[in-house]
Amino acid sequence: MNWELVLTENNIRRLLVGDWPRALGGVALTVELSLIGIVLATLLGLLVGYLRFAGPRPVRWIAGGYVELLRNIPLLVLIFWAYFAPPYFGFESTKFASVLTAIVLFNAAYLAEIVRSGLLSVPVGQIEAARAMGMSPLQLALYVLLPIAVYNSIPAMTGRYITLLKGTSLAFLIGLAEVTEIGRQINNRLLTAPVEVYATLLAIYFCLNRALSAATGLLEDRRRFNRILCFFAR
Amino acid sequence: MYQFDWSILWGEGGRLLLQGALVTLELAALSLVLALVLGFLFGVLRWSQFGPLKPVCWFYVEVIRNTPPLVQIMFWYFSATVILPQDILMALRDYGFQFVAVVFALGIYHSGFIAEIVRGGLNAIPRGQYEAAEAIGFSFSQSVRYILLPQLGRIIAPSLVNESVSLIKNTSLALAIGVADITYQARHIDYSSFRGVEALTATTVFYLVVCMAISGFGHLLQRRLSRHRRSAA
Repeated sequence: MNWELVLTENNIRRLLVGDWPRALGGVALTVELSLIGIVLATLLGLLVGYLRFAGPRPVRWIAGGYVELLRNIPLLVLIFWAYFAPPYFGFESTKFASVLTAIVLFNAAYLAEIVRSGLLSVPVGQIEAARAMGMSPLQLALYVLLPIAVYNSIPAMTGRYITLLKGTSLAFLIGLAEVTEIGRQINNRLLTAPVEVYATLLAIYFCLNRALSAATGLLEDRRRFNRILCFFAR
Repeated sequence: MYQFDWSILWGEGGRLLLQGALVTLELAALSLVLALVLGFLFGVLRWSQFGPLKPVCWFYVEVIRNTPPLVQIMFWYFSATVILPQDILMALRDYGFQFVAVVFALGIYHSGFIAEIVRGGLNAIPRGQYEAAEAIGFSFSQSVRYILLPQLGRIIAPSLVNESVSLIKNTSLALAIGVADITYQARHIDYSSFRGVEALTATTVFYLVVCMAISGFGHLLQRRLSRHRRSAA
């Protein structure tokens, strides 16, 4: 085993932050891509999921079509669309923006389904009570439907977030310098220690994902969830 | 505005894409078989809570499910060249070493998810069912055949279909180590003829058709299975 070749100070720094301050990369870029991706995909997922649940019929069809289309194409093909297709039509797209677009669109389709099944699990009595109190449809959605749906689907959404984080590794196939790409570069330079390099990468992703599940696990405490909700509702 | 030229899909390009599609389907079929075998094995082991193997199974399932399939493919591929003895490596090389590595990696990756599906399904069958089977004098093989498997199948079939769709999509990662699947061929056509959009469209349609056919089959299966449940109740 050649761990001392792999875990040099220089390699560890590159794995963590890439060529920062020249260009951010490594774990930092993976985390950045994942966090922005999670926020945007969740917002889009909430919107599409809600529209599929309560929108007028044509909107429901469009939302359903979006979900079915995006869930049946590989993420890699979407990334290739987002990166290689725009130049044919006279646009330029950066690597970061392409990967982010593909990841958000892809995962939002799954999150929309999760949100929709969460919405279906809201007891009818809650909806009737809200109507009886004279809530508008928007109030009903924001104060009753979505909070209950999101709380009920935290475990399923966590699973999706983990898949999203794993999906950021595909960015290296178009040359974005996130942690998998840095690992590949280190492996190409050493050539003698592939097991160690890729085991390190596996360990890094494992830790990131456990941290992610631990973070969303905190939200499963109902009182904490409500406190955070009230903070945003203000 | 970009001028589409779909004729690229009829000549050489179409032949390449068709070849790639076959490789994709082969990859998917072989890794699905491996994933099912390993998944059922580890699922039953995790469910049985067999003491000495508990940490091993936990480690297997958790590490596999929390790391990217792409990194796992490269891990197995590059590690094999170091770990495997030279003569086995040479023998594998004749069969397309990269192809074998992807089948192996994807099979193991999805077996982690199938193991959890199987465990969940086994946990969902009430304990009373086994006890009742024993009480009316069923042998072990009879209770597996008539009590366990029918209920397990009904519970896990939809999840297994979803997992198969996800497996087919993940075969596109094979291009990372140079297996010429359909996504690889689409990229190749882009490099060589600058007709990337047409090739990518054909590839997208291929995945859509295959994945939707399988999900459609899944819906059909689910409907049949739940009809059986209603008539039984």
